[in-house]
Amino acid sequence: MTSLTPPLTVQEPPRRAPWGRWGIQSAAWTYVTLLLLIPLAVIFQDGLKGGLGTLWHSISLPIAWSALKLTLWTSALMAVINAIMGTLTAYVLVRYEFPGKALLNAIVDLPLAIPTLVTGVMLVVLYGPQSFVGAWLKNQMDWRIIFAPPGIILALLFVNFPFVVRAVQPVLQSLDLESEEAAATLGAGPTTIFWRVTLPALWLPIASGALLSFARAIGEFGAIVIVAGNIPLRSQTAAVYVFGEVESANRQGASAMSIVMLSLAFALVLVVDWLRKRGRKDAEE
Amino acid sequence: MTTVAQSTTELNAASRRPENIRSLSAWRRRLLIGVVVAYAALLILAPLAALVSGAFAKGLGASLQALSDPDVFSAFLLTLKIAFLTVAVHGLLGTVLAWVLVRYRFRGHWLLNGVIDLPFAVSPVVVGYMLLLLFGRTGLFAPLLEALDLKVAFAVPGMILATLFVTLPFMAREVMPVLESFGVEQEHAAATLGASGWQTFWMVTFPALRWGFIYGVILTFARALGEFGAVLVVGGGIQGRTETLTLFIYRALDERQYVGAYSAAMVLGLLSLVLVIGTELLRKREK
Amino acid sequence: MNKKILKTLITLTVMSLLAGCGGQSTATSNDASDGTGSTKLILGAYTTPREAYGELTQLFASQWKEKNGQEVTFEESYLGSGAQSRAIVEGFEADIAALSLDGDIQKIADAGLITHDWHTLPNNGMVSTSIVAFAVRKGNPKNIHDWADLAQPGLEILTPDPKTSGGARWNILALYGAALRGKVKDVAANDEAAATEFLKSVLKNVTVFDKGARESITNFEAGTGDVAITYENEVLVGKQAGQDYELVIPASTILIENPISVVDTYVDKHGTRKVAEGFVQFLFTKEAQEVFAKHGLRSLDTEVAEATKDQFPAVTDLFTITDQFKGWEEATPKYFGDDGIYTQAIVEIQQ
Repeated sequence: MTSLTPPLTVQEPPRRAPWGRWGIQSAAWTYVTLLLLIPLAVIFQDGLKGGLGTLWHSISLPIAWSALKLTLWTSALMAVINAIMGTLTAYVLVRYEFPGKALLNAIVDLPLAIPTLVTGVMLVVLYGPQSFVGAWLKNQMDWRIIFAPPGIILALLFVNFPFVVRAVQPVLQSLDLESEEAAATLGAGPTTIFWRVTLPALWLPIASGALLSFARAIGEFGAIVIVAGNIPLRSQTAAVYVFGEVESANRQGASAMSIVMLSLAFALVLVVDWLRKRGRKDAEE
Repeated sequence: MTTVAQSTTELNAASRRPENIRSLSAWRRRLLIGVVVAYAALLILAPLAALVSGAFAKGLGASLQALSDPDVFSAFLLTLKIAFLTVAVHGLLGTVLAWVLVRYRFRGHWLLNGVIDLPFAVSPVVVGYMLLLLFGRTGLFAPLLEALDLKVAFAVPGMILATLFVTLPFMAREVMPVLESFGVEQEHAAATLGASGWQTFWMVTFPALRWGFIYGVILTFARALGEFGAVLVVGGGIQGRTETLTLFIYRALDERQYVGAYSAAMVLGLLSLVLVIGTELLRKREK
Repeated sequence: MNKKILKTLITLTVMSLLAGCGGQSTATSNDASDGTGSTKLILGAYTTPREAYGELTQLFASQWKEKNGQEVTFEESYLGSGAQSRAIVEGFEADIAALSLDGDIQKIADAGLITHDWHTLPNNGMVSTSIVAFAVRKGNPKNIHDWADLAQPGLEILTPDPKTSGGARWNILALYGAALRGKVKDVAANDEAAATEFLKSVLKNVTVFDKGARESITNFEAGTGDVAITYENEVLVGKQAGQDYELVIPASTILIENPISVVDTYVDKHGTRKVAEGFVQFLFTKEAQEVFAKHGLRSLDTEVAEATKDQFPAVTDLFTITDQFKGWEEATPKYFGDDGIYTQAIVEIQQ
């Protein structure tokens, strides 16, 4: 649902009064500066006040470091699962007809409409230790979903479901079928064609969708704070850690972790943008 | 290339499949479809079903009664107010932003383009925290606010700013691809015929953009409806003053008002869903 | 079509702006403060006494109207005590702060927002009290009767996060204090090392850290955990709301003393000092104390305490933050500071 390709080609509009163009450009820059750049700058300034050394010290405290690690590995694992299931879902939606297809297509966008807080609550109700599923898993296999990392991954999968699907779908839709048909003529079976022809053609949207969902997952709060348990060093993510630091007036800790999360997010966003640009370029060729 | 607008209509066309490929055997195909459907069902549908059943746990009457609580009403009103304002701001400025990024070349283009994607990835807690650093009692702008007798933190303006931040990408990202595929030839033609910049935009460009614009508005609105973390940190959840519907849900859970909480959550989800599906239907009809 | 969209957007914007300007007077200005028209009081409290204050604010408003002819409306916020204290310091303009522990009021005073000594109020400024106790499942299947039982392996404990919740801090200190006083089985008295070891063994069993005491108990109600360490009054309120868990009071526990204070800077800014002070004084009257007792809080008013003593069983060994820990000023850094005993313990148990 969210569109995923910013333009690469800049198209100059017809020559016009230069002040008009300048006016519009400044409006755009002012808008972004006021709303985005200033808040971002103030947090960087706050966290770097004591120098990089203090920042490092705050991040390397066991609780902070552990929160960061937990966030990174759960988000990464989620991104991988999302990449696989998202691609399969997109494939099924584009290539097949089946009863309930329209419903499936509508469901894909649902997570964007549900407040994350509600997602968390619902997951606890469904899979928590007192639920049918949760209780069974706990008693039979001593596995816990909710209040443990699997619950985190589950919540992240819910919230990020649309991203890979909606990235892959349009590309798959407008894929040039020549290569696949050629491969078929040469005797390749459907599975081989999928692995050797289709999938490689899709790697850009898959990668950009997966990375985008990874970036989003790092900052996820509303669902995680309900579902995760928030035990320091065991089930506390970076975003929840920041929340705790903010609420207990520990600015240094909050700012330091926020800076790390923001820098990571920005780096990821730049990579995603670059991937999309490549996608546009490839499509034009 | 990838707007909601385009992908859904193309999807509604018959599925495209290479002509001569030997299809997966029927059972394997069914298995694949089955796996995908099961995944979607377990992951997405099941929690939603739990939500609906929680809302109606004590019957439709109890649900409606919970929703008629004056607190629900004022929280919902606040949510809507913030959402409409957000849409108005981004509707205008987001379009401007899209225009600037598609039509102009300039230094820092990559930065502007990259930075507007950031809100997707920034944690809502961090958003709230940034605003507190700016507008809190000891914040950067505190002296200015003091002088102007303005409250931003722990008041509605702060929540509006938080919502503006998190919804910023949607408008631009929906409009940009459509604007790009539209191209400049018609605009050039209009200019040749003597149209001013404004006229060209309104009569030539905007009509072509309008579905991208509408989808941008809808997505911005839906996202604004569901905002929680940022408005919690910057607003404080003050009953009667800074409590949006999501914060009301949070409070209702604390007060053991489960039917009320789930019913309100259902209302939010339904509203967003209706908006998205409604827009798609409208679009299909126009075609 | 585009004209229609434009018109709609403009209408909506104008509507929302009007609604914004109309519905919300600037937060800081208020109508007359001394006895004319109507006025608004903003209350910032911790999560637990939500129901009590819900009733008390209404009671006060009707009494004040009768006595002074002025309408009083309340805006309330309930967060974890630490979080609420932080919010007030950051700019939440509460006229009255009703928090879980004295240390959190002190933080507001340290920020310069409270300039009087709130301890001059009755009972040293403490408006209500409770004790740290346990909520267990009906029938007490895990046989939890005292602190030592919490260390049994495989037990699942709920307690809130000391970072944000005052209740959590009371819990930790109650546990530690009982251990130091030799009231925990197999833990030597006056032995900090032994007490810390015991703390760790209990912390190992904690399953979820919720943000506040109320979230913790509702989580317990949802079926998580075998026991919740919480305020006695949370359990009593829950039972009043129909929950069927049981209250277990350990032999030795801490007296939770809840302070209240008018926030000088904000009442002066809003012009609400008279009403705010009126409200605080009202809370110490017999009538208000009875309401507190009704909602599970132990009253410090001797008459009310006597009248409600059946509701609140006596505690074998009750100690206070001052007896055992020399007050919050000492205890907060010692246990919850960066090198605090609790802060280190929570890290050590995971490594």
